[in-house]
Amino acid sequence: MGVSATMPSSTRNSAGRRRGRQRSGSAGSAEQLLPRWIVRAVATVLVVVSVVPVLYMIVLSLTPNQAVALGTIDLAKLTWSNYTSMWSAAPLAAGLVHTLVIAGASALLSVAFGLLAAYPLTRFKFRGRGPFMTVLIGVQTVPGTTLVLPLFAVLSWIQTTISAQLIGSYWAIIVTYMTFGVPLSTWLLVAYLRTIPRDLEEAALVDGCTRFGALRRIVLPITVPALVVAFVFAFLVGWNDVLFASVFTNSSTQTLAIVVQRFANNSAAALPVYGELMSAAVVSSAPVVLLYLAFQRYLVNGLSAGSLTGV
Amino acid sequence: MAMKTDVPTPSGPGASPGGGARGGAEGRKPVRERGSLLARFVHRQRNRPLWMLIPTAIAITVIVVIPVVITVVLSLLNLDVSTLREWLGAPFIGFKNFVNAFTQPNILGVTLVRSIEISFVFAILTTVVITPIGILAAFSVHRRFRGSGVVRAIYLVPYVIPTFVTALVARIAFANGTGFVDQILGDLHIANRNFYWLIGPHAFWAMQLTEIWATWPFIYLLVLAGLQAIPKEHYEAAALDGATLRQRLRHIVLPELGGVLKLGMLLSTLFHFGNFTLAFVMFSSPPPPSVEVLPINAYFNAFSSFNFGVASAIAVVTMVILIVPAYIYIRATRISEGD
Repeated sequence: MGVSATMPSSTRNSAGRRRGRQRSGSAGSAEQLLPRWIVRAVATVLVVVSVVPVLYMIVLSLTPNQAVALGTIDLAKLTWSNYTSMWSAAPLAAGLVHTLVIAGASALLSVAFGLLAAYPLTRFKFRGRGPFMTVLIGVQTVPGTTLVLPLFAVLSWIQTTISAQLIGSYWAIIVTYMTFGVPLSTWLLVAYLRTIPRDLEEAALVDGCTRFGALRRIVLPITVPALVVAFVFAFLVGWNDVLFASVFTNSSTQTLAIVVQRFANNSAAALPVYGELMSAAVVSSAPVVLLYLAFQRYLVNGLSAGSLTGV
Repeated sequence: MAMKTDVPTPSGPGASPGGGARGGAEGRKPVRERGSLLARFVHRQRNRPLWMLIPTAIAITVIVVIPVVITVVLSLLNLDVSTLREWLGAPFIGFKNFVNAFTQPNILGVTLVRSIEISFVFAILTTVVITPIGILAAFSVHRRFRGSGVVRAIYLVPYVIPTFVTALVARIAFANGTGFVDQILGDLHIANRNFYWLIGPHAFWAMQLTEIWATWPFIYLLVLAGLQAIPKEHYEAAALDGATLRQRLRHIVLPELGGVLKLGMLLSTLFHFGNFTLAFVMFSSPPPPSVEVLPINAYFNAFSSFNFGVASAIAVVTMVILIVPAYIYIRATRISEGD
């Protein structure tokens, strides 16, 4: 089924497209699926619908809190002040640091685990390989709430038993994000390693390299692009999550998403500071949007591997 | 199967002409079979380092498989804030949590039955609406034109913005009287400016519209990828035969897209069914009863009223509901992997 394409194949596809375009105009019209005016209408409507809420967010982020609360937006009176005042209105900088540490560490561990598992899964046929792959796909369908409750129960039990604080620590949340990161990165790397010809490693093996040595010296260097993709996607799972962070972090580890969400709830109670909230929203989404656009070639593959599940 | 590549899978026949990678280790084994058990194990692991699977196997067992089992156990126990820490010794009460979940409303006045209803309507309605939008979007940029790269990038934006940000923008856009939506509707005289989108029964529709805005590119991405996997020759042959647009769609494109679309709709329903963030962030806490999807119901049972048993029962019911689509998804993916 569609989404099983491997990463290099999408590169190949785009190369094919480029060739096709150069050939002649007739290939283009052969690929036409809708009358031109419908294409234009659809593209215009969808672009406008996609962009307007984003522009709304950006305009609000440049509008003073009070004007946002009253709904009186004046495009002539835009100001950058929200972007400077928001840092003291909510602990956004701390949240950003926590997110970088937590999402970064869990993505790094996930990619390491994923690479170790993906190599034997693509190179050897062994008993248990099929079930292993099935479990790998299966865990991606487990809903987040089904994991958050038992993890909380187990952690609070361990906490009581060894009398140490786990819930709220970096480790608890890092391990939790690996529930998504490990299957995701294993899956992405399996798809990639499949496409790497084995002749290279075999040459190394003949020369007396061990399997692990071949992995380290031959496979690892050419797998770097896939490792980056797996890291980015695993990282963004942590960046975007609210459910797990709202349970497993406290004020000294809360992620950016939680800081922003609490900021919204607190400001709803008192005087709404929605202008600053929107500048915080812009800051929380800009890196994500840029990263995804930079890696959009790999998005389809990431989708089937369970990134962006909207937990 | 549309996008499956022709790369030989390691298990496929004739995968490696040299036979070194797979056959090598097994081929050499009989010669080295002598020596102590440990030496043999070490040697085998040098050639076939299956130990590399261990970290992932342990991780998945400890952080996914065991928790799922524990959820089932928790759902059968009488748990509250005092017994949770020693949940292993909590009293066993059979299916009482399930009965409670189905019959008694939670602190927000919503029963499990109502939450299942809301989640179903939310997930299916979203999928039904986003599928045609996604298909049209993919058709509109399938053929390259000047600026199509920009259009493709813009199409992705609603989807890649973090859900919590989308939810916050929606919260302000739907704010009563002062939000963008009420102002537009009021100015156009379509609806009263005081529509109260974020409370009462209207909240569901505000959430539904937001979810549709944010997720149609999911179908778009899958369909576009499916379209590009169709060999160019098929289109050219059709053009030579003088096929009309309608014939091309019916005989070339739709048959090839069938698989992708089915999988996309399945996955989309699966994801929307489990969406927690949108309802949690878009509304004040606790959210209005009309948006109490299953994850929200479980969450507030657990972390507001500390009914961990009932919350686990809800989580188990969610899993049971999702077993069928999950099974279809696993099978479809496994088949496409050719294993």
